[in-house]
Amino acid sequence: MTLASRGRAVTAVALLLLVGVYVRALAFTPLERFQGAAQKIFYLHVPAAWSAMLAMGMVGLASVLYLLLKDQRFDRFAAASAEVGTAFCVVMLTTGPLWARPVWGTWWAWDARLTLTLFLFFLYIGYLLLRQAVGDPPGARARYSAVLGICGTVLLPFIHLSVYLFRTLHPQPIVLKPSAPSLPGVMLVTLLYSFGVFTLLYIGFVMQRYAVGEESAHA
Amino acid sequence: MPENIPQNAGYMVAAYIVTAIIVLAYAASLYRRTRGR
Repeated sequence: MTLASRGRAVTAVALLLLVGVYVRALAFTPLERFQGAAQKIFYLHVPAAWSAMLAMGMVGLASVLYLLLKDQRFDRFAAASAEVGTAFCVVMLTTGPLWARPVWGTWWAWDARLTLTLFLFFLYIGYLLLRQAVGDPPGARARYSAVLGICGTVLLPFIHLSVYLFRTLHPQPIVLKPSAPSLPGVMLVTLLYSFGVFTLLYIGFVMQRYAVGEESAHA
Repeated sequence: MPENIPQNAGYMVAAYIVTAIIVLAYAASLYRRTRGR
């Protein structure tokens, strides 16, 4: 069984479990009394944000390992993770405004959290464009990409802490924080289930995308 | 409990549809690129 076919199998399982997230979130998780149905966007928006951040974190880690070891597999993994992270970033940046409009009364605000998140998306796009633009000399593409990937990873703590450091419309974390999650149990279970499914989706997507990169490298 | 829960299900439906479209489109893109491998 090849890596690509294993990736497809993992993705298929993750997609089936994603249907479960939809069913659980829409039919079996109660409405939040102040925000109404729009609050249920939370079960997609937050896990998508998690996967986008996870992907950039992995890009950074693989980039450091590439610069240290000069192993092309780390470069290919970083490229795969960046493309997958871009997809999750698009989910995050589309579901966010759809949640913000009914709750905040605006689609977008140029505050620290939202602006830094948009910057992360542009970093992803820049990373992918850089990989397409740089060809020669051999190794330059991987080296330049690694530097940009590490820069992107440095952004992650600022995104997470921006809600503490600046005045922002965006709420503070309710799960990834030092104290216990401030969420009713049934909502927390749905959220954690969704976290797991989005992480599995990330793994399945990266396995497939890595296989594409590997084949291109050997073509 | 507020007397009137906000009626904003349209935004929720839109978000769930958009997410499904993006995820399925990307999954299909990867499937197309890795098909036969």
